[in-house]
Amino acid sequence: MEFKSEKLQNGLVVIGEVNESAKSAAVGFFVKTGARDETKRINGVSHFLEHMLFKGTEKLSALEVNEAFDRTGAQFNAFTSEENTVYYAAVLPEYLLEVTQLWAELMRPALRDDDFTIEKNVIKEEIAMYKDSPSFDAMERCRTLHFDGHPCGNSVLGSEESIDGLTAGQMRDYFTSRYAPNNMVLACAGNFDWDRFRCLAAESCGSWQSRTVSRALEDCGGSRKKERIEKANLVREHVCLMSAGVSAQDPRRFAAALLGTIIGDDVGSRFFWELVDKALAETATIKLDAMDGTGAFCSYIQCSSENVAKVLDTVGGIFDGLARDGITKEELRAAKNKVLSALVIKNELPMGRLVDLGFNWIYLEQHRTIEQDVSEIKAVTVDQVHSLLEQFSLSDFTQMRLGPAGDS
Amino acid sequence: MTEKFDIHTLKNGMVLLGEPMEAVQSVAFDFMIPAGAACLPDGCCGAGSVIADWVFRGAGDRDSRQLSNALDGLGLVRGRSLSSSHLAVGAALEAGNLAPALDLHADIILRPHLKQDQFELARQLAVDEVLSLDDDPRQKVMLKLRERFYPSPLGRSTVGEIAELKALTPEMSRSIVKDGFNISQTIFSVAGKYNFDAICRQMEKLFKTGRREGIEPVTLGRKGGKYTHIDNDGAQVHIGLMTETVKPTDEDYYNARVAISVLSGGMSARLFTEVREKRGLCYAIGARYHGLKEAAGVICYAGTTPDKAQETLDCIIGEFNRLGDGISDEEIARAKVGLKSALILQSESSSSRAGAIGSDYYMLGRVRSLDEIKDRIEQTTVDSVLSFLRSNKFRDFTVVTIGPKQVLVQ
Repeated sequence: MEFKSEKLQNGLVVIGEVNESAKSAAVGFFVKTGARDETKRINGVSHFLEHMLFKGTEKLSALEVNEAFDRTGAQFNAFTSEENTVYYAAVLPEYLLEVTQLWAELMRPALRDDDFTIEKNVIKEEIAMYKDSPSFDAMERCRTLHFDGHPCGNSVLGSEESIDGLTAGQMRDYFTSRYAPNNMVLACAGNFDWDRFRCLAAESCGSWQSRTVSRALEDCGGSRKKERIEKANLVREHVCLMSAGVSAQDPRRFAAALLGTIIGDDVGSRFFWELVDKALAETATIKLDAMDGTGAFCSYIQCSSENVAKVLDTVGGIFDGLARDGITKEELRAAKNKVLSALVIKNELPMGRLVDLGFNWIYLEQHRTIEQDVSEIKAVTVDQVHSLLEQFSLSDFTQMRLGPAGDS
Repeated sequence: MTEKFDIHTLKNGMVLLGEPMEAVQSVAFDFMIPAGAACLPDGCCGAGSVIADWVFRGAGDRDSRQLSNALDGLGLVRGRSLSSSHLAVGAALEAGNLAPALDLHADIILRPHLKQDQFELARQLAVDEVLSLDDDPRQKVMLKLRERFYPSPLGRSTVGEIAELKALTPEMSRSIVKDGFNISQTIFSVAGKYNFDAICRQMEKLFKTGRREGIEPVTLGRKGGKYTHIDNDGAQVHIGLMTETVKPTDEDYYNARVAISVLSGGMSARLFTEVREKRGLCYAIGARYHGLKEAAGVICYAGTTPDKAQETLDCIIGEFNRLGDGISDEEIARAKVGLKSALILQSESSSSRAGAIGSDYYMLGRVRSLDEIKDRIEQTTVDSVLSFLRSNKFRDFTVVTIGPKQVLVQ
């Protein structure tokens, strides 16, 4: 694999990792903007804007955009998080430049009023859909409760009210302030010709104007508040816990991710043996969510209302046990094996590789090979995990529960 | 593209299939055991879910924790799934660990401990999984839809029924394992980096069982009602809709796949354009082919707020009905390139390929090369797809809704 990079004069970073043995290529624009970059008044605009980019340019209608993608057979989509908006496509090598050109055009969208009005309905349907997904709902509410005013607690979708109040003008202003080339990365992984890719990027994106873009970076320890919300139609208890974790830039992120696997992988972890294997909960996971300048450990547990007190006691016991006695060498070894396998398998697909390639640049401004990540994971010691456990108390968590009415 | 497949039959009748992949360091494998939901005795709905958990709770000379540690020690990314026809267990892993992973799986399949105390836990988890479906209306609607669309027992729930799970005993479940884990009828598939001769030698040693005949094909019973509504005070009405189409063995299979792709292959396809883009009725809308060996259908999902539910359903059925009226060259071209491209993109994943060759062998009795599939897709034309649609009109829609409001099904 060969890594290539270039920075256009306007600040757009273009990077690529060429793998000639791949049968496909994956390309993506990574825009460093998301819910945390919004004010309350325009909450949900990053995600709404992601939808609007598919609505076309001055030259292309929405249907023409969809047809143009589908003519290449690309598997394409986009996603928005608290801090990034990513547009991607996996495609056969012969269509790579065509799809890249199309994405580049869409990065300068028309944002028409009538498209905005129709799409508002779709956004509201998406909000309604996630209301019917209590695991998602619990996680999002927990994030808001945990970050308690810190922008990382902003909802990605926004609320029905914030979306109702949003205007196309506000969206255009937000677009101008955030989609500057110096706030974006264009990345490609797989089987492609770097020189042609680079030239296309320069031709299609070179005229975009750079501007000053900033983001408030502030760490957040979390509110440690506890709340329960009742919903009459729910049957199970959905529990989300969040506590402070390491950021995406923190060298301790590898140890923290391994700690997450030891505690809450879906099989063979402490949560698994104490909660799932014993049939106290049907789901129990914990993951590190490493973000820009801050981070959190997030647990999600689903169980019956009768079991919830016992489940929370057990979780408390697991966290206390870890703080007191730490982890074992065997646990760390098994976690490394699992994380390494998953990493290697994911990176065998250009689409999997693209995600790591893009985010490594977004967060670290560096190219990291798979081998570098593999050796960092292998090098994590039990002592490093223990020192992490001393610095980040898992027991100091924020708790959000969603469950049926009439239970506590 | 030159493609090579490996195939070998063990003395006991188990078929081993392989697809070598040069560009990967991983290997993925699947054991397709003929113990799917439709193969279960009546009154045991959900037993597959219990058994798929139970067999991992100790096997060979390892107890539950030792077995789990041994699997984790190999870095296995574990996979297990239940379908109408099979209970499948498998994994993806670093190629060098394949041999010990197969040793462990032979224990799981041939020598599971199946202890009583572990049964109770596995059953409790299966019951909880059924209960938790009520909090996941989107998954539940599709499960209920397949149950009603396919003639019984083909669409039987893989998750289970509470009453039947509660009545299930360890003895009944052990006897299902004894009858259903028929090694002679199990299909083993592997894809990625491997040595096929070494696998064959190892598997012959591991699976020294007698040859057994397969069970009789299931007798098909009645289909469920045409419209079922399940009341739920949620934010959306979740609509599941299914209608019959040709099976994977049918001469018109590729015409059907292209037709469904015109309907819902990409974002420029009919359903996405008409339901979401033009009318803004839904966020999630899509239809796909769903095929069993005995029957097949087009399965469609849409989620929408209550006031738009009727219009959404009418619009979807309208698009199904309108498809045979005419399709443009452009639409067919996009559908074909979409199907071919998806095929190649999936072929880069060892897990996808292991699953695909196993499924091909079960459905067709042979493995199709990517070139064969591409050629067959390429051979379809506007005329062939339209002529297929005209002689196989979409009719008899089975509809299930979950949400605060019912719809009228014409």
